[in-house]
Amino acid sequence: MDMLTLCIGIVLAPLAGSAVAGLFCRVIPRWLAHSVTILGVAIALAFSMLVYQRVGAGETMNVNLYQWAVSGALEFNVGFLIDRLSVLMMLVVTSVSLMVHIYTIGYMAHDPGYNRFFSYISLFTFAMLMLVMSNNFVQLFFGWEAVGLVSYLLIGFWHTRPSAVYANLKAFLVNRVGDFGFLLGIGLLAAFAGSLDYVEVFARAPELAKMVEPATGWPLITAICIGLFVGAMGKSAQIPLHVWLPDSMEGPTPISALIHAATMVTAGIFMVARMSPLFELSETALSFVLVIGATTALLMGFLGIVQTDIKRVVAYSTLSQLGYMTVALGVSAYSAAIFHLMTHAFFKALLFLGAGSVIIGMHHDQDMRNMGGLWRYMPITWITSLIGTLALTGTPFFAGFYSKDTIIEAAHLSSLPGAEYAYFCVLLGVFVTAFYSFRMYFMVFHGTERFDRSGDHAHHSDEGEHHGLAPGEEPEESPWTVWLPLLVLAVPSVVIGYFTIEPILFESWFGSAIHVGQAHDVLSLVAREFRGAREMGSHGLFSLPFGLMLCGMLLAWLLYIVRPRWPAYIAKVFRPVHGLLMNKYFFDRFNEIVFAGGARVLGHIFWRGGDRLVIDGLLVNGGARLVGWIAHASRLLQSGRIYQYAFAMILGLLFFLTLLSPRV
Amino acid sequence: MNSIMPNLYPASAEIFVLIMACVVLIVDLYCGKKLPGIAFVLTQATLVFGGVIVWLTADAHVALTFSKMFIDDLFGDFMKIAILATMAIAMTYGRSYLDDRGLNKGEFYLLALFATLGMMVIVSANHLLVLYIGLELMSLSLYAMVALRRDDAAASEAAMKYFVLGALASGFLLYGMSMIYGATGTLQIDEIARQLAYHAANKTVLLFGLVFVIAGLAFKVGVVPFHMWVPDVYQGAPTAVTLIVGSAPKLAAFVMAIRLLVGGMFLVNEYWQLALLLMASFSIVLGNLTAIAQRNVKRMLAYSTISHMGFMLLALASGVIDGASVADLRFSVLNAYSAALFYTVTYVLMSLAAFGTLILLSRAGFDAEMLDDLKGLSRRSPWFAAVMLITMFSMAGVPFFVGFFAKFSVLEALIQADRIGVAVFAVLMSLIGAYYYLRVVKLMYFDEPVDSTPLVAPTGLRVMLSVNGVVIALAGIAPNSLMSICALALGYSL
Amino acid sequence: MTFANLLFYVFAAILVFAAIRVITASNPVHAVLHLVLAFFTAGGLWMLLRAEFLAIALVLVYVGAVMVLFLFVIMMLDINIERMRERFWSNLPFGLVVGGLLIAEMSLVLTARYFDLDAMPEAAEPPAGHSNTKELGRLIYTQYAYPFELAAVILLVAIIAAIALTHRVRPGNKRLDPARQIAVKRKDRVRILSMPAEKD
Repeated sequence: MDMLTLCIGIVLAPLAGSAVAGLFCRVIPRWLAHSVTILGVAIALAFSMLVYQRVGAGETMNVNLYQWAVSGALEFNVGFLIDRLSVLMMLVVTSVSLMVHIYTIGYMAHDPGYNRFFSYISLFTFAMLMLVMSNNFVQLFFGWEAVGLVSYLLIGFWHTRPSAVYANLKAFLVNRVGDFGFLLGIGLLAAFAGSLDYVEVFARAPELAKMVEPATGWPLITAICIGLFVGAMGKSAQIPLHVWLPDSMEGPTPISALIHAATMVTAGIFMVARMSPLFELSETALSFVLVIGATTALLMGFLGIVQTDIKRVVAYSTLSQLGYMTVALGVSAYSAAIFHLMTHAFFKALLFLGAGSVIIGMHHDQDMRNMGGLWRYMPITWITSLIGTLALTGTPFFAGFYSKDTIIEAAHLSSLPGAEYAYFCVLLGVFVTAFYSFRMYFMVFHGTERFDRSGDHAHHSDEGEHHGLAPGEEPEESPWTVWLPLLVLAVPSVVIGYFTIEPILFESWFGSAIHVGQAHDVLSLVAREFRGAREMGSHGLFSLPFGLMLCGMLLAWLLYIVRPRWPAYIAKVFRPVHGLLMNKYFFDRFNEIVFAGGARVLGHIFWRGGDRLVIDGLLVNGGARLVGWIAHASRLLQSGRIYQYAFAMILGLLFFLTLLSPRV
Repeated sequence: MNSIMPNLYPASAEIFVLIMACVVLIVDLYCGKKLPGIAFVLTQATLVFGGVIVWLTADAHVALTFSKMFIDDLFGDFMKIAILATMAIAMTYGRSYLDDRGLNKGEFYLLALFATLGMMVIVSANHLLVLYIGLELMSLSLYAMVALRRDDAAASEAAMKYFVLGALASGFLLYGMSMIYGATGTLQIDEIARQLAYHAANKTVLLFGLVFVIAGLAFKVGVVPFHMWVPDVYQGAPTAVTLIVGSAPKLAAFVMAIRLLVGGMFLVNEYWQLALLLMASFSIVLGNLTAIAQRNVKRMLAYSTISHMGFMLLALASGVIDGASVADLRFSVLNAYSAALFYTVTYVLMSLAAFGTLILLSRAGFDAEMLDDLKGLSRRSPWFAAVMLITMFSMAGVPFFVGFFAKFSVLEALIQADRIGVAVFAVLMSLIGAYYYLRVVKLMYFDEPVDSTPLVAPTGLRVMLSVNGVVIALAGIAPNSLMSICALALGYSL
Repeated sequence: MTFANLLFYVFAAILVFAAIRVITASNPVHAVLHLVLAFFTAGGLWMLLRAEFLAIALVLVYVGAVMVLFLFVIMMLDINIERMRERFWSNLPFGLVVGGLLIAEMSLVLTARYFDLDAMPEAAEPPAGHSNTKELGRLIYTQYAYPFELAAVILLVAIIAAIALTHRVRPGNKRLDPARQIAVKRKDRVRILSMPAEKD
């Protein structure tokens, strides 16, 4: 098969699966829904591997498949740009998606919306693939909105829960803010570059760099890049648009793993990397990216420390890791960002699915205070979660170590404004990451068993359904459909960094897909010190980040295993800090009061002044009166009498005769 | 005094349809009682094979025959296929409706076939006389079809109005044609264009004739102030006939406008453009505003037709940029006319689906035609409510439905012709118009059904209506295919 | 003024008068008779233009067939023309204004100034033995064969439409069906019963 056929197959197979499962969700049996969607995604994965082979051999493809519409000189196309960047994303998306599909069989086994759920996640896979394979901004935006839509649907999957509905509304609104910037960026590009095709836009980038935005006088390229990055901030949950991601944990856990950890939230990272030829031209935009990323990486890590809900801890760790990727983008280490994206996709999916497995074992109780000592009952989940935690914290030789250490090193070597701040943040972030990760690990798998005495305070009172283990009941290992993906994901979480760091980062594997300006090329500086993956790992054992990580781990061990009473005491002593963290830096409260409240006040003003006076009074009622009047008049004309109709025709004729005759 | 046998090959499809009409006439006479479905089957076969013949005989070469009275070009072939397909779909929709009302007789199919033949003659006319005769053939058949339900007072009244006013419009048209003949000395359309270009034709008389011709044309298209028959006929005729009156003849009228105005009298375009622009603007206002006040769906759709045809005329009146180079001019002209064609084709698709839904809701002894009859359709049949939803959204021009792209391309043509004020006005008016389309959606989805009888409709209607809905949806997802076909078909003939 | 011109004006005057009477006559029979008159004079006008065939056809077809049919219909139906015309007089002034305007514009355009009657060459004297009818026939069957055929189709449609709209089979119709009459068998009609002889 040629590459184009493969690519079409990759996109259409999940779509077809989704359509079958979705359109006939009330008719077909469960086994058919999951087999057909899994088959679709498996085909996409297999084809992606074939494409990977070709691309690895140096082939690239940029083809317009279908011209969707034309407006003047502006073309809206559907097309594929397949190079090493997109093929890597395709592999990550399809493989994680496949694992999540399989996992869902076990996780959602008793849910009434089983078929619908499979349809959604396959649809998501389709949309995400359209996004990464796109060769133009229109399709990128389509994929962008489509993944957002599916994410919205899935966060609110259990739509009878008020909290889920609140969470999906929040995700929807916050993402609109990001999309506004994104659209602005795309609009500026369309207006000034006159094209929406990647290749054409990039070819015109040097000209764009010299222009200024006529209305404001800002450098055009900076305005474009910041606009695009605001879009990425919404989708990849960077401060201050991060608020939707923790709440999105209201969705089922497989979704948290697939969409809100491994793939969709990394769309922003991918997009910025794809736009590297533009971002390289604006140092201001790069610094902006850098500072936002660094702040996110550190501050979100702190929040992970005080959470008690197992999924929220993982969610905050995702936010923090996204911050790391953004830092890498900011220092122009795009390949490092994508590299971390890839390793993170595997170990974070692993952690999420592990958390999901724990939740199944605990009969849908998510509170870590009711867990402890689970290693005895859920051995596979325990081991795989440990691997995930080690990878996340950056233990040498694990996948996360290679990507994270490179980012820290790149931040250290960068000379952009703000790089010192970023270096400090990411370094401290290592300690924080280790602390909250091991805190979670110890609370869940070690220490005293707390589930048998948790009985009554475990279930959420507002839902009426019983959660948690009954007194005397013991957790047990999840079914094979749940632990198999854990095992499969554990493998890349350990080894993928070791094997791929050298080609991806230091042998310019991405080739022309990523463009780095001469002045910003920190990775070449990092490369000078690079002596191979094994060297880097053993050297990492004596480095500062590893020391910080050990400190974090030991502190967690001390506080949650050796002296479990201390945390409460510390919280009491540092009450203001604890309160700040518990309230998530008051972001939500701020948004609630300023944006939501302000919008309500504004809305009220507009409703009073604009709506009731102008629109209701003048336009609607006036309009209705006008419409009524015209309708009445035309009803008079439409008398039903033939001779009046004929008369009207003759009058019309006379009118046009008089109109045209004198013009000769 | 030898006459040469004319080349019949370009007219094979017309000849086939005529022969088959006669076959249907005879077969129905002798076997109609024994095989009640025979006329329907033969008619459908005729329409399908007619389309196949048009397809097989189509080529990029422009052929003239019958003493240059008949023109066979790609544009004509495209329109003939569209007309035949529209008629075939309309027949499929209408069958059960006619059956229930005792109208499913051979005469109906015969008249439909003759109307189709008339439209095909119009499409291929290169001579004013032929154009007129084709128009009469089509109109006469349509008048009779409207009156076919002769025990129904409303239908008879509608037919009477249609007939008398149609005769008046034909009179206008014929009179205008005679004036044009007086000014140019010819009835042959390409010859008229040549006379205008190379000889100083008598412009006053020409324009005088032009106004009459435009009036006749406007009647057929149904735009203000020649629109009065539209609501009465749409409402009074049996729904299956309304479906036919409201769909295929619009395609034929569009060809007539292109052949007469663009093909024949392009050199006086500034005059007819002004007239079309005015009629279009009046139609958009009157159509959209009056539609809001209607309680009867058929009447509402009639006013919506008036506004849609106005929109289409806007594009037809925007084919020129002053001072553009010849290549640019051709490009922009083509753009505007293909926008108009695209608009007409999508309009026909949508109106087929809308009337098809009404037929779906009707049953023996009950005609669904009030807005209330649509209430709660989503509960009675979610799938067909979705089809109607797509249709209504598309008619309203909601983005990413095909109607949106149709409106968009018309607006683009307007802007290219520097008529930004008109474009803004058209947008405002279609926003107002969106109200009554969305009201239908609201009734279907948010109101309790008034009658909850299960839908009884034959499989053919269900399948065809579903296909129709899917085609509208697909055309919205991928509008450019249809658009480029329209541009291509027109490009070979202009 | 030649004799032909004089004839033209006479015919034209009668034509206009007859046409006005058609729409103003209160008795429908009178209106039809005036219409017949109008057709006759129009035929005369065509005769002046040397269109003999058309003139004769007009008289034969319209006067001889159509108008007679018309008269039959009007005499058979009892139409109260006055009631139908109630609004005629109230709409008349407005109609007259519009009609007047229309006529004014038409005559403005169609007078000699624009229409250039002088520029039109006088029709050549036809050669001896020229047959208008033959010429028409030749054109109709050669150059205009296509519209001629189509016109025939229109007539066919008219027949079909007329039958479809007016023909109805009444329930009590006593139509004969020869085929059934011939096919009838004795046993269908007559039943022979063998009755035992009655004894009293």
